[in-house]
Amino acid sequence: MEIFANLAHGFAVAFSPINLLMCLIGALVGTLVGVLPGIGTIATVAMLLPITFGLPPVGALIMLAGIYYGAQYGGSTTSILVNIPGEATSVVTALDGHQMAKQGRAGPALAIAAIGSFFAGCVATVLIAVLGAPLTKLALAFGPAEYFSLMVLGLIFAVVLAKGSVLKAIAMIVFGLLLSMVGSDIETGASRMAFNIPELADGLGFATVAMGVFGFAEIIRNLDHGAELNRDLVQQKITGLMPTRKDLVDSTPAILRGTVLGSILGILPGGGAVIASFAAYTLEKKIAKNPSRFGRGAIEGVAAPESANNAAAQTSFIPLLTLGIPPNAVMALMVGAMTIHGIVPGPQVMQKQPDLVWGMIASMWIGNLMLIIINLPLVGIWVRLLRVPYRLMFPSIVIFCAIGIYSVNNAPVDVVLAGVFGLVGYWLIKHDFEPAPLLLGMVLGPLMEENLRRALLISRGDWSVFVSRPLSAVLLAIAAGLLVLAVLPALRAKRDEVFTESEN
Amino acid sequence: MSDTPSEAPVRSILPKWIRGPQDFIGGLAMMAVALFALWASSDLQGMHGFSFGAGTAPRMFAVLLLLLGAGVALVGVLQDGPHLSHYSWRGPLFVSASIVFFALAIRPLGLVVSAFASFLIAAMGSNETKWLEAVVVGACLTAGCAILFPYILGLPMPMFPRFLIQ
Repeated sequence: MEIFANLAHGFAVAFSPINLLMCLIGALVGTLVGVLPGIGTIATVAMLLPITFGLPPVGALIMLAGIYYGAQYGGSTTSILVNIPGEATSVVTALDGHQMAKQGRAGPALAIAAIGSFFAGCVATVLIAVLGAPLTKLALAFGPAEYFSLMVLGLIFAVVLAKGSVLKAIAMIVFGLLLSMVGSDIETGASRMAFNIPELADGLGFATVAMGVFGFAEIIRNLDHGAELNRDLVQQKITGLMPTRKDLVDSTPAILRGTVLGSILGILPGGGAVIASFAAYTLEKKIAKNPSRFGRGAIEGVAAPESANNAAAQTSFIPLLTLGIPPNAVMALMVGAMTIHGIVPGPQVMQKQPDLVWGMIASMWIGNLMLIIINLPLVGIWVRLLRVPYRLMFPSIVIFCAIGIYSVNNAPVDVVLAGVFGLVGYWLIKHDFEPAPLLLGMVLGPLMEENLRRALLISRGDWSVFVSRPLSAVLLAIAAGLLVLAVLPALRAKRDEVFTESEN
Repeated sequence: MSDTPSEAPVRSILPKWIRGPQDFIGGLAMMAVALFALWASSDLQGMHGFSFGAGTAPRMFAVLLLLLGAGVALVGVLQDGPHLSHYSWRGPLFVSASIVFFALAIRPLGLVVSAFASFLIAAMGSNETKWLEAVVVGACLTAGCAILFPYILGLPMPMFPRFLIQ
């Protein structure tokens, strides 16, 4: 019963006053970000990375994790009440949730979203605790060749599950890999592509690039459409939070299905909360007896995606904590946070830093409990926040980011670099390149290079090592198969269908 | 990325045989990045024996990016795609100016002055800014950051202009 001992240890860590406070701050900030359209989760986590510098590592990661799953809760609130998804993950929630609100059933919709999220959060917490240890053992058996192949698989998954052109997504990953090469070479110490700029000798800061490409670029893009985002609030009094017995009966199976689907998609590399909520909604619609109810206020259409996105947000920590491989951009930022604190992500983290891993897992459950309290009774306050005009929000974010980046190394050059990457990110968005794979490539770059080098050194330069070792061969075969599937026209059409569902 | 179709299509200056200008230019730019990386890493050591030199991986990925960029550009030639989208100048200009000003000012002028001034410069990026409101919010934000970063988070940084303190 190692798990119980571990969980008990985790709760002891998470219940310390400072960690409880961090958890609460994370949940609050996450909800705030989820509610406000125009700031995404990735941008926020990037923005707060420098701030965590002064915090103890456990508290820092607990807070960042709280932001991620907190945003999933907050996003649902605005989707339902205002029909503006605060987060990409709650785009589908708006379809039925807002219809319910229009029919005067905003209360039950919010309650079901919160209950579903909480249930999914509990299941995912247990899942992380159960799967953590065995996966770590598996990971310790991995050699460099297997690790390299696993990372290739992860990146390919990210490409397949991403929106838009497969070719462009791969190009973005390789661009990210190239960016990660800037700075000193780990083995020879040679300075690479640094042009004798002292600030580049250590490599491009991860927080710098992330904040540029996600924070600044997002702001510049939003300004294109005029600062005043159209937000006509359907300000109704929310009466009666309690769902009826029928609501509960209808939504229970949907919550269960959403949780299962979300948990699976979260673990898969490249998955994560966005795809999970889309998939859960599509599944509900497919298996419903009367699909025409969807889009007209079906409670299953709220329950399933909200459970799924929360489950996925949490299970995506599994590959990060056990294998040290981030499955999506937010987890890539968590790697950044760990590195700032001198923790090398990987299977050894579980043994060397039990406080960190189990404390974080336990804090997720506590955080979910806090979120239910934050979200349901305080829903009015969050909605009022939507009134903050973007014309005041965007300069504030710019300044906050600038100070944050400066504080990491006390280097003004970093601030300028982030600005440059902001313009690069703006250009990328304009050319329909997704910036998320770039970040993933940048994080995995050093790991991939190191394992590739080692694998080839051990095999004495023989490239066939990647296909002659069975585990590595299987991983690469799956990657190749996925890639082929993704380019096949039939599946492409299906994939596009899932994504366009949200846009009309 | 739901680019609004209502935007007037930018008159293309590109030849007609390029059917997807957005992809075409995007691919070319990726190729340019790859070529730049190849040039920048050309002085690094390559393979010696079985082991990678410092330059092996960068060159490998640069070549890969070159091929991918060519692929994207080729798609732009062969397939109908979106036009180049409209760039606005105001947002990017003032947000960048604000960032650069902050970077230049933080050391000599300190957090209070540079944050407040940068806020106002960034605010110029939108034509809907109301000045009184912006000044008030900017001042509050500056005050908040001046407490948050050095005191609560314990990150040392200069607060006031250097010439005032000395």
